[in-house]
Amino acid sequence: MRAEPALRGEAVRVSPGDRGKRLRSWLTNPVAVLGLVTTAVLVVLVVMPLIGLIGTTLGTDGLDAWQKVLSGRLAPNLFWEPLANSLVIGSATAIGSVLIGSFMAWLVVMTDAPFRKTIAVLATLPFALPSFALALAWETVFRNDLIGGRVGLLQDLGLAVPDWLAWGTVPISATLIAHYYSLTFTLVAAGLATVNGSLTEAGEMAGATRARVARSIALPIVLPSIISGAMLAFAEGVSNFAAPALLGLPVRFQTLSTRLYGAIATGETERGFVLALLLIAIAAMVLFASTRVVGGRRSYATITGKGGRRSAISLDRWRWPLTLLAGLIALATTILPGLVLLMSSFARRTNSLTGGFTLHFWIGESDPGFAQGQRGILLNPTVIEAIWTTIGLGLAVAVCATTLGLAIGYVITRLKRPKFLSNALGILSFLPFLFPGVALGAAFIALFGRPIGPLPALYGTFAILVIAGAAYTLPFASQSGRAAVGQIATDLEEAATMTGAGLGRRMVRVVIPLAARGLLAGAVLVFVKMIRDLSLVVLLVTPATPLLSVMTYRYASEGFAQFATAITVLIAVISISATLLARRLESAAQPWSEAT
Amino acid sequence: MRSPSQRRVPVRAAIAVMALSGMLLTGCSSSTNEPPASDELDGLSLEELKAQALEEGSVVVYSFTSRIAAIEAAFEAEYPGIDLIGHDISATEQVARLKAESASGTTTADVAYIADAPIVIRDLVEPGILLPYVPARVADALPAEHSAPLPANRLSTKVLLYNEEANPDGPPVANLWELTEPEWNGKVVMVDPNVRGDYLDLMTEAVLRSDEFSSAYEELYGKSVQLDDGIQNAGEQWIKMLYDNGLILVDDTDAVNSAVGKMGQASPPVGFSSYSDLRDNEEEGWALQVAAGVAPASGIVFPAYLGLVAGGDHPAAARLFIDFAMGDDSETGGPGYAPLYVAGDYPTRTDIVPPDGALTLDELAAWVIDPAETITIRSDVADFLLTLE
Repeated sequence: MRAEPALRGEAVRVSPGDRGKRLRSWLTNPVAVLGLVTTAVLVVLVVMPLIGLIGTTLGTDGLDAWQKVLSGRLAPNLFWEPLANSLVIGSATAIGSVLIGSFMAWLVVMTDAPFRKTIAVLATLPFALPSFALALAWETVFRNDLIGGRVGLLQDLGLAVPDWLAWGTVPISATLIAHYYSLTFTLVAAGLATVNGSLTEAGEMAGATRARVARSIALPIVLPSIISGAMLAFAEGVSNFAAPALLGLPVRFQTLSTRLYGAIATGETERGFVLALLLIAIAAMVLFASTRVVGGRRSYATITGKGGRRSAISLDRWRWPLTLLAGLIALATTILPGLVLLMSSFARRTNSLTGGFTLHFWIGESDPGFAQGQRGILLNPTVIEAIWTTIGLGLAVAVCATTLGLAIGYVITRLKRPKFLSNALGILSFLPFLFPGVALGAAFIALFGRPIGPLPALYGTFAILVIAGAAYTLPFASQSGRAAVGQIATDLEEAATMTGAGLGRRMVRVVIPLAARGLLAGAVLVFVKMIRDLSLVVLLVTPATPLLSVMTYRYASEGFAQFATAITVLIAVISISATLLARRLESAAQPWSEAT
Repeated sequence: MRSPSQRRVPVRAAIAVMALSGMLLTGCSSSTNEPPASDELDGLSLEELKAQALEEGSVVVYSFTSRIAAIEAAFEAEYPGIDLIGHDISATEQVARLKAESASGTTTADVAYIADAPIVIRDLVEPGILLPYVPARVADALPAEHSAPLPANRLSTKVLLYNEEANPDGPPVANLWELTEPEWNGKVVMVDPNVRGDYLDLMTEAVLRSDEFSSAYEELYGKSVQLDDGIQNAGEQWIKMLYDNGLILVDDTDAVNSAVGKMGQASPPVGFSSYSDLRDNEEEGWALQVAAGVAPASGIVFPAYLGLVAGGDHPAAARLFIDFAMGDDSETGGPGYAPLYVAGDYPTRTDIVPPDGALTLDELAAWVIDPAETITIRSDVADFLLTLE
């Protein structure tokens, strides 16, 4: 195990007078050049939208918004309390997701628990379900009579559900954890899968207890994946709108994301952008602090040239209790919300599972007495077209973002000097999904609206959706790229270098095959995030490129909740299929590694 | 090991990145727009417009309602040879998109069919991004308030709804001030006005109609309303007391409708929502009914605008579409208007008969908002609401 692989290159200490030489050494280093190119791409994809965002908040209205958000009589309700709520929700989501996700990953990858494969499949699925499905599932069980109308199962049974269990912090955190633990699971499982058997055996031979092996050997190895997962869960938690809106507003629980969304929706755009910038700044600080606290970007190369099989940890009498626990978590976060989602798409009445069921919203012919004459979605040619466009967009974005993520991951883990480049890449690539979609979309219209030099205007094309999508999903791609490349020992690449392989050849022949599992996991996250996301694409989409996510929103806002739900089910089915397909590909891509 | 220089990197990184992007940005500053489409098109007859529109061949419409699909089919049946390309985009996003397109000189749409009238006036009409076009054919039947600053073809509502099953004898309240009494504590539901623009318009109207709230108070309690500290008028006082009385905020109108309307409730809440949602009563198992006649008013009525996009590529076809969407000369507005002809929504044209099955606008007794007036204090009301939570 080597913390500082030689390829990162101990930088030669240079005096200020040697600047020229240093610059030249950067430019002859292909990794540094790759770093520069990647940074240039991120400047277009992330920095320019960010500058646009900052620019809009520097006008008269913008400065007024800064003042109102940060000080004065509105600040507590507009910013400070929502900020505190957001931090609580974000932290709870991160901690909960790490605990549950890591536990499940450990159980599935490291132990001899029964039904490991089934649990592994189930645990990757919650992310493929929309977060509002989990919030609805929570309501189905815990909703009390605060609002009026229908109540949940418990209240139906005569149990009084207290407000704290039905609304606010607890249910919001719980539903977000149920949604995002699969993120940490995916990343940590990919990390654990590379824990080399010889390492743990060495520990055991040296007399370490099993707990000690876990703490001192396995944990440090997967720490980068855990941190990546925690950071993504945190960012998702603070930026999620659906769960706090559904479960928080009735008790006037506001987060930065509900405030931000509300400001933009009510025409207070500058105020919304100020909140977004503060959210971005806070997330960047949290990212930075967390990497400092846990010891910077230390990662351990576990994929080496040496072989080594891993022997499963025997759970003995804990085998069934732990399996049962994991199984229950997996079922409660996949089957239950999945069923609620599916049933609501069959429900004759919006969000009501007691008013009878119908297949109309799926396969009904046009009937003027039903849903205002709209046909079932599977008979609607636009929906069918949207399915293919959506899949195409998801694939294109996954390929672009993952390629970029690989480059970012490679530069961050391999480039020693200039270090600011890799730091800049690390932070920039983490921020995009905290951008309000409206701001990012508007920025891309400004950037690619007109021809730039020889490049044609991209606005209104499929290409701009792909570019914007790649920018937006960069956090997933770069975090997984970083974790995946960080685990590859440099001795393999050094061996390739000695045979005369250049950077490109090393990438194709060594890095990509070895990082394939982690990259594929990241690509699936990107795909799923992309096909579900709405806010970004809605500004850039054209009728020539109908997308499912846009259609759900339209139907929902027109009061056709079941059509919206039915299309959400379609999105979930596509996401789940992609997740399952990727698992097959994983084993095919790395035939030498054990299937988990 | 970390060297001391690594600790300083974020600042250096940020500076490097900023400098780089600064250079890139200056490289693509925007140029000015083309002058808006010529006015002489406004004077053309329908036949002349049609001839020119056929040459243009297509028209791009941004619409805040998905019913644009049905309007599209009707338009293409009426005018074969002109391809209508309908984008279904919410009002908020239309505003963002039209502004961004105008700023970068990439005008895409020819017509915007859009709600959120106050914001549209401030962000799109005043900067000249959207222009009015009132077809001469309908000008006489269109009241002045619905033809400027942009023509509206339809009015929607946010009014007080109650559960008719639990209150068979009519609305459980006769005066909006009753909702601030203990009996209604925790029993009034609406969408958070800081999340949805039409609800903010409703709150804004309450402030604008303070005098009427004042008289309604006197009518109910026989004395004049006492204003709390920092409260400037009776409208604000009502809003404050409503919030203090456990007003329940939710995230969308469906949540209001099902809370208020669900059958089998012993003491259901009341809430503000769209009158036209009553059409879903049977399908959804609701007993929604409108509290028409409550003092000082049952809620608000607001317009959906048809705006001509300045600098659009198909100016004649755009005008032809607006003409079409304003409705034909029949009593119901014909095929172009049919998808919008829904009980509980109201045609603006006085010569189109309102759909059956709903009260007339007079009977509904809701305030018709004046978006140009609304926008003057809308932000202040939003700020005021923020202090109440």
